[in-house]
Amino acid sequence: MQEREIVIDVKDLKISYRCLKAYSIKKSLMQFKKSKVQVYEAVRGVTFQVPRGEILGVVGKNGSGKSTMLRAIAGIFSPDSGQIDLHGNSVSLLSIGVGFQRKLSGRENILLSGMLLGFSEEQVREKMDEIIEFAGLGKFIDMPVKTYSSGMHSKLAFSITAVLESDIMLIDEVLSVGDARFKRKSYRKMKQLISNEERTVVIVSHSLETLRKLCTSMLWLHNGKVKMIGEPGKVLDAYEEFMSE
Amino acid sequence: MRFVNDLKKYWAYAKQSAKADLKSEVASSYLNWLWWVLDPLLFMMVYTFIATVVFNGREQYFPIFVLIGLTMWNFFDKTVLGSVRIVKSNHAIVSKVYVPKFILVIQKMLVNGFKMLISFVLIVLLMVAFKVPITYRVLYVIPLLIVLVVITFALGNLMLHFGVFVEDLYNVMKVVLKLTFYMTGIFFSIASRVPAPYNQLLLKFNPIAFVINSSRRCMIYAESPDLRLLLLWGVVGVILSVAALNIVYKYENSYVKVI
Repeated sequence: MQEREIVIDVKDLKISYRCLKAYSIKKSLMQFKKSKVQVYEAVRGVTFQVPRGEILGVVGKNGSGKSTMLRAIAGIFSPDSGQIDLHGNSVSLLSIGVGFQRKLSGRENILLSGMLLGFSEEQVREKMDEIIEFAGLGKFIDMPVKTYSSGMHSKLAFSITAVLESDIMLIDEVLSVGDARFKRKSYRKMKQLISNEERTVVIVSHSLETLRKLCTSMLWLHNGKVKMIGEPGKVLDAYEEFMSE
Repeated sequence: MRFVNDLKKYWAYAKQSAKADLKSEVASSYLNWLWWVLDPLLFMMVYTFIATVVFNGREQYFPIFVLIGLTMWNFFDKTVLGSVRIVKSNHAIVSKVYVPKFILVIQKMLVNGFKMLISFVLIVLLMVAFKVPITYRVLYVIPLLIVLVVITFALGNLMLHFGVFVEDLYNVMKVVLKLTFYMTGIFFSIASRVPAPYNQLLLKFNPIAFVINSSRRCMIYAESPDLRLLLLWGVVGVILSVAALNIVYKYENSYVKVI
């Protein structure tokens, strides 16, 4: 097998939520003692590499740092220590309730989200119909997003990221939303996206079946550390065994 | 410079987002865009009434005097106050995709700037209606506006940063801005209404009072502004902006962790 180019390079990543609690003036007047600084380490030293074209699944129990790590890769969090190198690839994060402005219509949100993902207005407008069609929201597309159900929300979010393709897609727990029909459709779309050799995908999910079917490698995070990394089958078997204890 | 690159890259987004904001504002109220015209006009009437009837104000072209003050003040006030909670109110976006945080302030300034523009059209119409003699000095309003924008941008970014960490900054700023409102002389002339040493101090050391007072002088009283002071505030504004931008750039990636 030939060496594939590395697109996600995570080295000794540590992220903690230390001393960043918002304080109020009233609180600081009332308390003479300085309140104890709470440190919560979400990710404690994770190292891994993802080559181009790989579909990496991430499993782990709630609070094991999966979403935090994903956000760090997307550039939303800064790591407290360690490095994340994407080698200049574009990245988009797809998660439940993706960044929509609630009072604007679906159509406007597509435009704005697309532009935030680094596409030009023309590029987004070109793909607009495809996104709208894929989302299948009917006349809701011109209604404010606040009127959407959570399923519709995720459908729109998924459609935007799926149609406007970036080099690296980070997917946080969205494959299990939407109705049966949309689930099938998004599964097919995922398959299609994945079949593209150029695209790298990181999927966080609790749906082990989906991961088993889609992924080419698997990362198991436990309490902010890598517990296991490797073949999907092996890791998932070990994980399932661990979780059923 | 990172700022210039980011501004180029996200300018289209800021513009589009501001447009969408304005559109949704129009869509959600009954009188629609008419409010952008009515709001400054009605408040101008309220303050003109209070100032002339209750406080016996005697400035020439009083309604225009008030409207210029209100127009510029609203831009400053709404942007600065709006920036305090700007990260929180854009939480949906900020927690899903990276965007330079100062772009949020720019977006707000575009929204408020558009309203200021409409208000300026009203001012021009009123100037024609009141037959205000117009001289070349009107053009001084351009550098004055630039200084206003720079200072607003600097303060907006500072508010954005501290607003994340200080929960009740919003309440504090509401009071501070109200105080500044009265120290800026929106519906009275600081020069003639505030006793001697203080009026000059206010007009020099309160940049907003300086900008508004100078704009009135050049637009309706055909007087030139103090150019040295204008330049000085411009420089101070730029320095403040650079400092604020540095702070925001340094900490922006940890904002999401706080919310």
